[in-house]
Amino acid sequence: MRAVPGSFRDPDSRVFESGGEVFRALSARGLEDWNALRASAAFAELTDRGSVIETQEVGGDATATLPEGWAGVLRHAAVPFVSYPYEWTFGMLRDAALLQLDVLERCLAESLMVKDSSPYNVQWRGVAPVFIDIGSFERLREGEPWIAYRQFCMLFLYPLMFQAFRGIPFQPWLRGAIDGITPAQARAVMSVRDRLRRGVLTNVILHSRLEQRYAAIEGRAAKAQVRRAGFNTELILANVHRLRKLVARLDWEPATSAWTDYRHASSHLHADADDKAAFVATAAGRRHWRLVWDLGANDGAYARIAARSSDYVLAMDVDHPTVERLYRALREEGERRILPLVMDVCDPSPALGWRGRERGTLADRGRPDLTLCLALVHHVAITRNVPVREIVDWLASLGGTVLVEFPERTDPMVQRLLAGKRDGTHEDYERAHFERCLREAFVVERQQELPSGQRVLYQARPLGA
Amino acid sequence: MSRMMLAYLDAGSGSIILQAVLGGAAALAVGMKLWWHSALRALHIRRDAEEPPPSDDGSGSR
Repeated sequence: MRAVPGSFRDPDSRVFESGGEVFRALSARGLEDWNALRASAAFAELTDRGSVIETQEVGGDATATLPEGWAGVLRHAAVPFVSYPYEWTFGMLRDAALLQLDVLERCLAESLMVKDSSPYNVQWRGVAPVFIDIGSFERLREGEPWIAYRQFCMLFLYPLMFQAFRGIPFQPWLRGAIDGITPAQARAVMSVRDRLRRGVLTNVILHSRLEQRYAAIEGRAAKAQVRRAGFNTELILANVHRLRKLVARLDWEPATSAWTDYRHASSHLHADADDKAAFVATAAGRRHWRLVWDLGANDGAYARIAARSSDYVLAMDVDHPTVERLYRALREEGERRILPLVMDVCDPSPALGWRGRERGTLADRGRPDLTLCLALVHHVAITRNVPVREIVDWLASLGGTVLVEFPERTDPMVQRLLAGKRDGTHEDYERAHFERCLREAFVVERQQELPSGQRVLYQARPLGA
Repeated sequence: MSRMMLAYLDAGSGSIILQAVLGGAAALAVGMKLWWHSALRALHIRRDAEEPPPSDDGSGSR
């Protein structure tokens, strides 16, 4: 069994992986909490609804393979791909926040508490969020406040407020700080007008001021004081209801960007659309794929085609409004095989956290056996200045088959991108050079020129694969 | 050892006190609402209980 590096924070619970299965070791106290959870109607209800991950207790063999000191072992259903909140859209983070609050509210009714409030405890099956951290559930300590309220604000509420009120993308903030945005930071960002908005005065301004004022008081003393003052579960419930209403009302309308209507607005693409879709359908349909990466997925048209013959597709795009629209569309469709993610291929998610191991890189979490790289190479090569050879080497390093599109220098979009650059800046952006690089790393199984005469599609598998 | 000391997250004193403040404000709001309703009842502006609305088939509540 291999300990999952990101699960060490809670001393009562640790996640292990073995042979593609996910296990959770529990301390003696963790095991008591699990028994309380298992006996509750809430657990059965939340699991049946798909809100909480399916979990069973496993017997002696599994416990014997763990390091000493653990009292029990659970087996969880595995999620198809682990993603992080800095890769999600606004709508995804909001839906994860609502799930967190709903799970907490349901548990409080049966004297259970959720001890943390982290979006890292929520994962996705397609566009359906699921709460995965069974170790978070514990028996309610009467009179104790909601310990994770601050964490909820830092990792859910403030990032959502930043996007909804200020138009500030939350992804770089969450990627930059594993514990989220502090109340003081949130207060500094809110304008005078924002302070009049619902929930800001209490959850941001007052929160920050009280944190400053009572910084010298031990948390233990504060807890004892509020307990003596008669703090009870009803007050936690009232706070959860208030936050649920607040979060549900937070809204962000994805603005029209250069990418949100790219396919329809780009007339030069129309002539090629049918042939391109047929090429992808043929290439993707020739076998079943475990994991597909669609890079620059835009509206997800090709991700949907690939999903027909795949277990799971990551539809990734750098443009947040575009991915938000895709998320909403997939929610409408009830799609479970496509996970939309905000991802910049030129700056993908790095390893983060303690020893750089708490959060894995994109590739660490699942390499694709099929990669779609359509209408992307010219943007990466010309706009982002990545040499063509580097792009091909990176695609080869992923280890799977690629479907890649190369627009010629005469293509209108390539012409537009080159127009902003000094002559001679991108001499390596040339079809013969691209094909040379491609054939050095891949076996080209099929290639097709599109009707416009300006774009070529390649289906290629890595040498030796 | 107190069970309260076993939480692995530090809730933050300010956050704990804020919850008490919000709880107090909510309790005050509920108290004022109850007082207001009883005041309306005392002035015969509101009845003790609203009559149930008739159901679609006119049979009233069951």
